[in-house]
Amino acid sequence: MTIATDTAALMELVWAAPLAALVVTISWGLVVWGSTRAADARRDGRAGLATLHLGVAAIGAALFAAAVVFGLIVMMSKD
Amino acid sequence: MDSDIILVIVVATALAFDFTNGFHDTANAVATSISTRALAPKTAVTMSAILNFVGAFISIEVAATVASGIVDADLIDTTVIFAGLIGAIVWNLVTWYFGLPSSSSHALIGGVVGASFASSGTDAILGQGLLEKVIIPALVAPVVAFLAAGVCILITYRMVGRLRPGPVNRGYRLGQIASASLLSLSHGTNDAQKTMGIITLALVAHGTLAGPSPAPPTWVIVSAATAIALGTYTGGWRIIRTMGSRIYKMDPAQGFAAQGGGAAVLLTASHLGFPLSTTHSITGAVLGAGAAKRLSAVRWGLAGNIAVAWALTIPAAAFVGALTYGVSRIFGDGALGPVLIAVSLLMLMVAMFGKRMRGGPAITAAAADA
Repeated sequence: MTIATDTAALMELVWAAPLAALVVTISWGLVVWGSTRAADARRDGRAGLATLHLGVAAIGAALFAAAVVFGLIVMMSKD
Repeated sequence: MDSDIILVIVVATALAFDFTNGFHDTANAVATSISTRALAPKTAVTMSAILNFVGAFISIEVAATVASGIVDADLIDTTVIFAGLIGAIVWNLVTWYFGLPSSSSHALIGGVVGASFASSGTDAILGQGLLEKVIIPALVAPVVAFLAAGVCILITYRMVGRLRPGPVNRGYRLGQIASASLLSLSHGTNDAQKTMGIITLALVAHGTLAGPSPAPPTWVIVSAATAIALGTYTGGWRIIRTMGSRIYKMDPAQGFAAQGGGAAVLLTASHLGFPLSTTHSITGAVLGAGAAKRLSAVRWGLAGNIAVAWALTIPAAAFVGALTYGVSRIFGDGALGPVLIAVSLLMLMVAMFGKRMRGGPAITAAAADA
């Protein structure tokens, strides 16, 4: 391992790690945003809008689950 | 006979280090969850202990033994390993006593570096390895995590800032359970493996195991997993309090940004083959999530103390490691030196824990908020 190799990994880390953090944040943010808005819409009797917001929450949940699975794969494939 | 006794002492000391590693690093995974009431304190440490135990079985790749590439492996014997472990344990106890989060891995590396230096001089230290594997990651981890968590919390407030706080807080508390679980599992995978590596190295040096990189025996895996889980369950409450509420009073969204952002940074770094310290990453993320909301909310004096502890970790553990090696050698090459030092350390640990236990119950949710 040379310094140059580490510098390349370091540079990749500097943009990839915050990007991964953003994916986690935005995906869970969609879950919270979607489910809260869906509850509000349901309370106001707007079933269609509630379903739409629940759909957004489901997409967020799927993204978040994918991020967690990716994390587990990284842990298991460590060498 | 003497080598057998030294081996037993090294194994016991490695497990003691694993225990201190568990209780020292519990805060990384659970402090923010306890502070935001996502989890009750006892539930949080129990969950973390179980996941640390499970994590220890996920990866048992010990080829990347801690300190490899940092010190000359050919110059390491069981006494050097023992002295390095003592350096790491003492530094873990000191930082725990003052409630300061610091890297257990850096303490172990520092201890082994110091003991190797005392044993073989500067030839034993691989400066470039130390720079690449320890010093650069130590500078990068908190900065990247700080920035990532800072951006994350700003986006989070943008997304949910105008919604009703009740369901939003409940949502982020739920998210924190997932991020805390992932961090605990990751910690068990990383840190129990280091103890397995140390014990395996000692077994090879003793001649019990043969081959360049033998697999750790089952009893080593089970005992390392158990020690780190017990340590985690004991809970390093002083550090949990520092990370969870003394730096600043965080809300559930900040807790999630710190934990989720920190975990994302750690696992991405691990994927890229650039391992970062869990403690440095999570502490950096906690600071970032607080500073992005309001700079003055963060107790920067305390953050400065933590930074000083980080800077001192390797030199201080190295000093204790070198001192331990030197004292051990005063009694010759036999087992007497390690036995006396191990007994002294055991008495110190009993005294410290006894004092802590006499102080009453470790923590409650209210105390965590204090």
